[in-house]
Amino acid sequence: MAIYVLRKLAFFVGAVFVASLAIFLLIRAAGGNVAAIVLGKDATAEAINALAHSYGLDRPLPVQYFSWLYNMVQGDLGQSFRTKELVANLVTDRLGVSIPLALSGLLLGLIIAIPVGTYAARNVGTWSGALLALFSQIGVAVPVFWAGILLSVLFGVRLGWLPTGGWTDWNKDWVASIRSLVLPVLSLGLIMAAVLIRYVRSAVLDVMNQDYVRTARAVGMTRTQALLQVGLRNAALPIVTIVGLQIAELIGGTVIIEMVFSLPGLSRMILANVAAREVIVVQSTVMLIIVFVIFVNFVVDLLYGIIDPRIRNAA
Amino acid sequence: MSISTSAAPPVTAPQRRRRLNLNASLVVGLVLTLGFLGVALLSLVWLPSNPNIPNVKARMIEPFSAGHWLGTDGLGRDIIAQLMVGARTSILVGAGGASIALILGTITGLVAAAYGKVADETISRGADILLSIPGMVTALVLAATMGSGAFTTILALTAFFTPSFTRVIRSAAMSVLQEDFITAARLYGRGRLFILARHVIPNIGGVMIVQFTLYFAAGILTEAGLSYLGVGVTRPSISWGMMLNEAQQTVGISSPLAIWPGLAIVFVVLGLNLLGDGLRDVLDPKLKRRGA
Repeated sequence: MAIYVLRKLAFFVGAVFVASLAIFLLIRAAGGNVAAIVLGKDATAEAINALAHSYGLDRPLPVQYFSWLYNMVQGDLGQSFRTKELVANLVTDRLGVSIPLALSGLLLGLIIAIPVGTYAARNVGTWSGALLALFSQIGVAVPVFWAGILLSVLFGVRLGWLPTGGWTDWNKDWVASIRSLVLPVLSLGLIMAAVLIRYVRSAVLDVMNQDYVRTARAVGMTRTQALLQVGLRNAALPIVTIVGLQIAELIGGTVIIEMVFSLPGLSRMILANVAAREVIVVQSTVMLIIVFVIFVNFVVDLLYGIIDPRIRNAA
Repeated sequence: MSISTSAAPPVTAPQRRRRLNLNASLVVGLVLTLGFLGVALLSLVWLPSNPNIPNVKARMIEPFSAGHWLGTDGLGRDIIAQLMVGARTSILVGAGGASIALILGTITGLVAAAYGKVADETISRGADILLSIPGMVTALVLAATMGSGAFTTILALTAFFTPSFTRVIRSAAMSVLQEDFITAARLYGRGRLFILARHVIPNIGGVMIVQFTLYFAAGILTEAGLSYLGVGVTRPSISWGMMLNEAQQTVGISSPLAIWPGLAIVFVVLGLNLLGDGLRDVLDPKLKRRGA
């Protein structure tokens, strides 16, 4: 087990390092001359150089990269060029919106997908099973932002039950905060569910054809008993992995949904800072998100190894 | 080249039913996809009116009116004309991103499968890392820093899809490389490149076509999302995602303008996904059907 953990840990560190290099190069190569863009067309060369110097952007790229990386490792994410606000504060301010949205979306997706997917697997070849498969096939084709638009037309504009956008701070009126999150979470959760149903269905189908389920049936369990007592525990393994893989997808969905419902989450912060060419803010925020995703996958890998001894021994 | 000696298993009732379903998904998928391609082709030679020129007199015409079957938007531009040009954008960007990713992914996947353990470890771990980077965030940053446009969007999709192709092509190629006819070719003195080109690629062609279809669909969804955010395609090009953004910005989401582009996306993505699933069972019966 120790070797397995070490291997996964080495991959985690390597992945974070490679990702940081990729993000740094991408943003710097694509971003052009930051100081020149910030000052506009009429700026003199001296003014541009002076600004680049005060931002620390005139240092050689490797120096900039390693000092950024070194500071990140120390827990210093840097600060905004103009407002001097700490990136850490900028990010934590927004997490109060983004994290509840993403987590509730994922949770809702799972709450729908696990029973529905299991039902669909048990009813392969019947009308209800085929209908569910069709529904999830359609759900996968629906862009998450369109789901958001349709839900806000129905419940926001037509019925007037819930706000179509905007945000009230948790401290001010938490009921209003929750009301603002209902439609975004519903949009995200329904689309996640459509994707997850297909995974749950095929995972349960795989398990249902295994010998141990046949054995359980042979010793007298009913189909439902066998599935719940023996099958579901085994189907849980691939589902856990899929949830890990879907984290990147979940973040993408959260980014878009925040824009649909004009929620002041991470994505609006990133977009605004990209537009203002605040390269440090963008670099550090995107890096934080990526480290989070890689970390979730690392934990999923570890869990997988703990639950299933065959995996850690093979690795 | 490979000769199967085992007899085909008898078709039992559930199997027969399943095969029927699969054909249905192939047929429906093909019809939707051909309709989509047809509309895009038609838009090259005929449009009801210019989709980019505002017409103040024809603002906000209701759907199902003579001359404007689906109505016009807040600037008097015909919806059908915009949808038709949008189909073209979806193909350009979706298929563009998926094709480049397919080519890059095939090269890296084949190298990983055939050129030894070091190459395999490097490429596979690299793909794993790239896969754990959230595509939407990267695409957002890339599109926003490089300036929006079809080209940047294609680039973002390529970066996003290539590692997935690498993985699929690698594992498909590895299973082909274990076949007896590969050993025979090797004993015959054939080189690695010759074997890859003449034996491996033709045998993974089915996998490549299926994956291309599915990522074409994913590309259309991602493009629509980026254009909706305002960092994808810009006018005079038209995208369905951009139309939804404009509908929400200018006339309020309750307008029918917010319906048509969304429906177009759903039909086309559904069509391509069904086609991909259907093709998988025709072209690659050995491959197990997966959830995604």
